[in-house]
Amino acid sequence: MIRKSISTIGVPVLVALGILALWQIAALSLDIDGLPTVGAAFGAIPDILSDPKTIAGLAASLTRMLVGFSIAVVFGVSLGLMMGRSAAMETAANPLLMIFYPVPKAALMPIIMLWLGIGDMSKTLVIILGVSLPVIYHTFQGARSVEVKMLWSAAAMGDGRFGQLFRVVLPAALPEIFVGLRTGIVLAFITMVTSEMIVRQTGIGNVLFNALDTARYDAVYATIVIISVIGLACDSIFERIRFWVLRWSSETDELAVGSA
Amino acid sequence: MITLMQARNLFLATAPVAAVLLGWQWLTFAEKVLPTLLPSPGAVFGATIESLANPFFLNDLKITLFRLLSGFGIAVVVGVGLALIGASNRYVGNVLRSTVRLLAPIPKIALYPALILIFGFDNMSKIILVFVDAVFPILLATYQGILRVEPKLIWSARAMGEPPLRCLVTVALPAALPSIMTGCRVGLIISCIVVFLAEMISSTDGLGHVLIYAARNFDTVNMFVPIILISMLGLTLNILFNMLRRRLLAGH
Repeated sequence: MIRKSISTIGVPVLVALGILALWQIAALSLDIDGLPTVGAAFGAIPDILSDPKTIAGLAASLTRMLVGFSIAVVFGVSLGLMMGRSAAMETAANPLLMIFYPVPKAALMPIIMLWLGIGDMSKTLVIILGVSLPVIYHTFQGARSVEVKMLWSAAAMGDGRFGQLFRVVLPAALPEIFVGLRTGIVLAFITMVTSEMIVRQTGIGNVLFNALDTARYDAVYATIVIISVIGLACDSIFERIRFWVLRWSSETDELAVGSA
Repeated sequence: MITLMQARNLFLATAPVAAVLLGWQWLTFAEKVLPTLLPSPGAVFGATIESLANPFFLNDLKITLFRLLSGFGIAVVVGVGLALIGASNRYVGNVLRSTVRLLAPIPKIALYPALILIFGFDNMSKIILVFVDAVFPILLATYQGILRVEPKLIWSARAMGEPPLRCLVTVALPAALPSIMTGCRVGLIISCIVVFLAEMISSTDGLGHVLIYAARNFDTVNMFVPIILISMLGLTLNILFNMLRRRLLAGH
């Protein structure tokens, strides 16, 4: 038990320290302006976080991210469940999704802004687009592999098609759905940061490139550290939620890897 | 002969795509929207064909492809290599898993400014960004694939006198191929997306830059062209990849 917790907590900490050590060695041996030391970068963090405008922008971004994520989950899970249980729905939706899959969602930002303006609507919509596909895909996979006998039992007990969908298929697909949701939450954050880098109005992505443009290199690295920590926090908070919701299932942990 | 079932499926598969195109055509034809906001599908496809005949545009396409494939190629080699090393040694595997767990949820695109500062503004920083983003799904899929290989296969090879390290390459690697291919496909799509975004954020060439340039000039038609092309590029690479996969996995 103790050994296990050492290897699950201790090793990642050691790995993080190892990465910081590599960074420090590279900074000292390269000795270029473009790569400050670990100390210099971490020293710039309080400076960035004490700016109330940055904090307000970050809070607004994270709120949009959660709103976009929630809308995408409702939409993606519904569509995924229908695709998983109806062959007609699957054939109809697949080609559209295939075409949409390789499109960089954050790259749609300039066009969406042309249509919906520069406000919250555009920024939230881009996040919805970024999150939807993995949620749809994993829900579909989960719904498709539900055991038919469970559906028969539900039907025998008088559940209609919609009753079956929500009382049998949804819970049975939940472990797989949560794999999609985890990829989704990471993607929501990535899409948010990327769209801020492209549009350059507010938010942490804008802070990052402002620091680059004004040649405050320690601030560039400090912002990267802040973004990384937020990304890690999103993922591990979500893991807690997933673990708690799925404590009844025997699902093993799967790592989420995604990109905008 | 086409059965009724096949005809129905063909209809179901094409109808939504056709409906989107027709709806788009109707919106522009009935002048429900300004052409500066949404150009007609005809105008967009015409501009796409025109661009493909334009040598400057083709050069941008070539640069994007070069960055994409270089970054992806390095990611395949490094990802599969690291996964092999990780699977051959329990301690290395443990460190590798923790490293992936730590780095995977971080938005790699945030590293882009650092890569620009260290590797310069040119191809190098973009190729490395593509590599960093694509390597994780490949590494993870390979590692999990190798760990799931039937142990009896390895035991048999060991019993026939193969040394353990060679077993990894001659037995475990081919047996894990389906899983590796899945990881590579995800990595390939991610590469497409990341190279485009990097070019949008800071570049003077490539498809992403074409989009940003059009956006700055409010040239709506030409904003659609690079997006359509990156989607087509992704679909084409996906199809080529599936063909390769079918050849490689003929025995599975």
